Amino acid sequence: MSPSKTAAPGRLLTQAAGERQTGTLVVGGHPGGMVYLLEGAVVYAESPAAPGVGELLTASGRLAGRTWQAALDAGAPGARVGRLLLDQGHLTQGELELCVLGAIYDAAYFALSPPTAPVEFRPGATHWLGPVIRVEVAAVNREARRRARLLEEIHPYPRFDTAPVSPVPRPPVERVALTAAQWELLVHADGQRTPADLAQLLGRAGFATILQLRRLAAQGLIEVPGSQNDNSDLVRLPRARGIAVDIRRPVVTLDDGPQVLVATSSASGGPPPQAGEPSKDNGPVYRPPRLARRKPGAKLPKDLAHEPPPVHTGTDEVLLKRIRTALRALR
Amino acid sequence: MAIPGAIGASIVDHTTGFAVATAGAAPDSDHAAAAAGAADVVQAANSRSLFVSAVPHDLLEDLIITTAGGYHLLRPVQTDFDSRLVLYVWLDRIHGNLAIARRRMQKLADELVTSFTS
Repeated sequence: MSPSKTAAPGRLLTQAAGERQTGTLVVGGHPGGMVYLLEGAVVYAESPAAPGVGELLTASGRLAGRTWQAALDAGAPGARVGRLLLDQGHLTQGELELCVLGAIYDAAYFALSPPTAPVEFRPGATHWLGPVIRVEVAAVNREARRRARLLEEIHPYPRFDTAPVSPVPRPPVERVALTAAQWELLVHADGQRTPADLAQLLGRAGFATILQLRRLAAQGLIEVPGSQNDNSDLVRLPRARGIAVDIRRPVVTLDDGPQVLVATSSASGGPPPQAGEPSKDNGPVYRPPRLARRKPGAKLPKDLAHEPPPVHTGTDEVLLKRIRTALRALR
Repeated sequence: MAIPGAIGASIVDHTTGFAVATAGAAPDSDHAAAAAGAADVVQAANSRSLFVSAVPHDLLEDLIITTAGGYHLLRPVQTDFDSRLVLYVWLDRIHGNLAIARRRMQKLADELVTSFTS
């Protein structure tokens, strides 16, 4: 067929299915995807926004990563990865079929829901998984449209589907009820992971992830993408919360130096160097504290010495004595 | 069909309300609507009520809706990977037996994972 052109992906798929073709529909754009046909029936679909069978099975812990990799290495050239997993007893027929079925509809939504996209049909191209289950093209198209409608009904803002997810620092309501799936998403949303990243990370279907995120967005629990003024592309800076005023900290310059007590040569006998006086040995300047301090061993000034120290009676005294005895016992 | 009195059955994705597979009849002959309804009911039970979260690690086992004419049974299918599926069976009130149906459905939901054919 013709090389890449802009068209409705669903229509081109229906046309290819009508001719009972075998091959792959490649849909460009974001996120885009691929739908694999075998004699006019959908056998697999994939999209960067939807975790594939391998990711679903390994992220959930159903298959060890190396089991999957071994099946992939051995089965991919002959397009019989699915067959191998069944034959080797890693998965049951039912599990694999349900998993593939879920992955097909999930990825097909992302590939087929855009009204127009750059599309291309590559005849003959098959998928390495091999045929596990066959789905009618009409059913896949219908479901993709229904899912798009479903999202519209929940919260009609598609920008939540692709932008990095940031939970709001403060919920707009007093009481928040979350499902387990929503909790999982919020806990893993760090302001940088996109819905697709979260789906891959958690091993959840891409559409189910978007569905939950739209529900959270409708409740005002996630930030509207683009609303935060991001100063940095890489690091999410902490933002001032609520109406509290930022603390204005004095600007620290190199001259101030850290307030560390460093004995300089002049501190031994002579008067301490005055503030601003350049130090001869480039080290940090010792600044005398504002309050005058007694030298060790010196007596109190007379006016203070006259006042008898306040006498503590009752429990305080008893307590102090007890502490003293306890301290002595420790020696 | 192994369940006595069953009029129809389907496997429904309860996050999207999509009927993954269907068999027999559906209320109003509309499997899609039945699936969407089943998804709403499961979602209500899972998210908006305290019934399934009264005890930690408690899970929804099944939901039974009784009508004058029949029973509607919903049972989540447990898979290790993320599938979010629920088995829906529509039973005739006179010919159906709720106890037998529940037991058969439990077996069916377990077997579904081992031998699924759409």
